[in-house]
Amino acid sequence: MRSCWFLMKRMAWVKRTVSRTADTSDAVEFERLLREHVPALYRSAYRWTGAVDRAEDLVQQLLVRLYPRLAELRELDQLRPWVLRVMYRIFVDQLRRERASPVQFGADPVASDALPAGEDDAWVDPGPGPLELTNQEVTQERLLRAWERLGEEHRMVLSMHDIEDYTLPELARIMDIPLGTLKSRLHRARARLRELLAAERLVAADRV
Amino acid sequence: MADDDFQTLRQALRRIPTPEPRTGFVERALARAAVQQRGTPASLPARVRHFLLRWETWAGAALGAAAAAAVTFILLRPVDSTVSQQPQLALILHETRNVDVLIDSERELKGATIRIAATGSIGLDGFDDERRVDWQADLERGSNLLSLPVVARTAGKGRLVAVIEHDGRTQRVAIDLTVIDPKVSRS
Repeated sequence: MRSCWFLMKRMAWVKRTVSRTADTSDAVEFERLLREHVPALYRSAYRWTGAVDRAEDLVQQLLVRLYPRLAELRELDQLRPWVLRVMYRIFVDQLRRERASPVQFGADPVASDALPAGEDDAWVDPGPGPLELTNQEVTQERLLRAWERLGEEHRMVLSMHDIEDYTLPELARIMDIPLGTLKSRLHRARARLRELLAAERLVAADRV
Repeated sequence: MADDDFQTLRQALRRIPTPEPRTGFVERALARAAVQQRGTPASLPARVRHFLLRWETWAGAALGAAAAAAVTFILLRPVDSTVSQQPQLALILHETRNVDVLIDSERELKGATIRIAATGSIGLDGFDDERRVDWQADLERGSNLLSLPVVARTAGKGRLVAVIEHDGRTQRVAIDLTVIDPKVSRS
């Protein structure tokens, strides 16, 4: 029985040694590849979700999802758009689950910005004519309130295109949608934001 | 939308304050991704992984280990221990050591919840003040190695508890650790 025990211990040692060596080198390389991108990914996640905890959860899910794909990450010329695409998919899946669930996550009073379906033709701007905006009117306070009321799908497209400067073709790949659909969605998101800003303007006028 | 209007909006959007990650978040998130992966050792080459995941089964079969009969659903036992129920380990103050927990599952378990708690004098390396960590992982049939980076923070007693939950069933293992401060021991 003694020799059996030694055999077991020896095999356990081999197992731990191999496992640790592989784990450590993978973890080091994973961190080397991704560390510089994580703050930017977090900022994107924060703009999408509007909350620190949800942004952290999203980035954490992303990293967990990416870790087993280290071999793919090594081969990428441009890592950021690829990783952003993965994060986008995780978030869209999460939104779909939340909206299908009776338990809602941070109920949004403006639920009209739900995930679009079959939007190619349906996404026609229903809003009123152009609302002239001036720098004075777009105060940070009003913009923040409008941004918070904007649906996640609109926040995502505005964040990536208008803030982070991804081009339309890049964004079409990230979001995996046709260019025409993307343009419609972007147009719709801007129109919705302008509506919300206009509403904020009226609220501010009421307060005066 | 008029160009001026669009530019006004765009400039305003860029002024929306966006916080940087909280202190330590990046490090913790990267460390967690690696730790969670260790729970499901898919990062190893498939052939090596297959060998590693199956060795207890082979050894058990070859040696005719009677303990295998006791496995009903999941059997947890720490690799380093000689006593399966409540093993004890000693660490030197500030030492970091991987404590391996072996999760034997008699079938594949999708979406098992793994909860780890480090209490008393120990903590989980890379997790600062977070003493409880939980996540979901798929467990393979056979043995799954969970390597936990434990750090000895203060002298005294500590306990590492691992809980596996799946489909309403729970298995728990606790490992008692003693952290020794060499300076105090010598005096």
